[in-house]
Amino acid sequence: MIESPPRAEHGVPDCLPEVGCITCGDEGVEMRALKVDAGSGLAVCVDPAGSTSEVDLGIVAAVEPGDALLVHAGVALTRLGSKVTA
Amino acid sequence: MKYVDEYRDAELGQVLAGEILATVEPGRHYKIMEVCGGHTHSIYKYGIDDLLPTNVELVHGPGCPVCVIPMGRVDDGIAVAREPGVILTCFGDMMRIPGSDGSFLDAKAEGADIRMVYSPLDALRIARENPDREVVFYAIGFETTAPSTALTLMRAKAEGIPNFTCMCSHVTIVPPLRALLDSPDLRLDGFIGPGHVSTVVGARPFEFIPSSYGKPLVVSGFEPLDVLQSIHMILRQLSDDRCEVENQYGRVVPYEGNTRALEVLSEVFELRPHFEWRGLGFISQSALKLSEAYADFDAERRFEVPGVRVADPKACQCGEVLKGVIKPWECKVFGTACTPERPIGTCMVSPEGACAAYYNYGRFAREREVV
Repeated sequence: MIESPPRAEHGVPDCLPEVGCITCGDEGVEMRALKVDAGSGLAVCVDPAGSTSEVDLGIVAAVEPGDALLVHAGVALTRLGSKVTA
Repeated sequence: MKYVDEYRDAELGQVLAGEILATVEPGRHYKIMEVCGGHTHSIYKYGIDDLLPTNVELVHGPGCPVCVIPMGRVDDGIAVAREPGVILTCFGDMMRIPGSDGSFLDAKAEGADIRMVYSPLDALRIARENPDREVVFYAIGFETTAPSTALTLMRAKAEGIPNFTCMCSHVTIVPPLRALLDSPDLRLDGFIGPGHVSTVVGARPFEFIPSSYGKPLVVSGFEPLDVLQSIHMILRQLSDDRCEVENQYGRVVPYEGNTRALEVLSEVFELRPHFEWRGLGFISQSALKLSEAYADFDAERRFEVPGVRVADPKACQCGEVLKGVIKPWECKVFGTACTPERPIGTCMVSPEGACAAYYNYGRFAREREVV
């Protein structure tokens, strides 16, 4: 399993009016895979703001580092393409 | 940023606005519902409605998964959170949803251990780190979010984590749309279909809308040009006397959906016979519960859950807002007794909610002139 950086509770993104709630709304965020662990089906991904988090790859085809993913609530919904600079 | 910048081009937006203007018939009034709360948010954030002709009216649908959670389900979550040894985890928006006797945030202030998480994986991590505690994930969301819960439960089962359970309030998008279309007080010309729900279920489940109800639907992305183009596609269908499902969001949404995600959902969940939606009442087969294979991870089986139905506050008109019968500012308590800081109704809690979107982007004092 890939160890993602610990996230303090106060560091969890809040539901801010100006950004919307990417977690529980029907929204996705583009993230780029940094490290992929095919065994656990998890990846460490980075969002455009530079924050990293653990992402489940359970419903997308094989992902490689550098791939761009549409992520919602910690799950990659689909691959957007490869080797995209976020 | 790729996939974003090209969909926020102001000049292209003006071009699309001109094409929309050229498509509408003068004197005809168009009502288009955006099903998804994410679209509602985009429309007000980017001022998309200001680019539309005055005879094109956008109606906000029931697509905010937070806004449709009834008060009784909030009370159920608080009851579980108050059980000794329980850590209740949930997404941020759930924290402020009012129950009959306060919100999760109130219960947390009174001593319940309720923690906000970004994903169910975070909740599972808390369970691993606290083997002597019972960790409950309070799951909300449409089919977009349900795979995240399902994959986490599969992971918990595979790892044999005994102190992790899920209180499932996941809902499905098609039954409430059918209920809305059957509602006699609603008149719509077309639908902006949900984008990210469709990455999971595909566009095919919406085909009943044109075939049975004669309304066009366009699955749409969330950037401003996505929404404008989808509105144009709906208006073009009406102008051409066509009626079908179209997919504007083809760069992300496969028409058939995500087969693997649908397999995961069918393994972990099954449909509830009935589920109560705030403002819409009970709708058959409109929500998910854990399947028998995952019964050991069902918080509603492990804990005593009151399950008491609580009527919405009388002053709150979330139901009419969710059905698009009234605009948010037409609610009696909008912006006065009900604000994002002190919400009465759920539509004011979540930024995806129609009332909060109107309030936060300054639309509350204005009514569009309708020709």
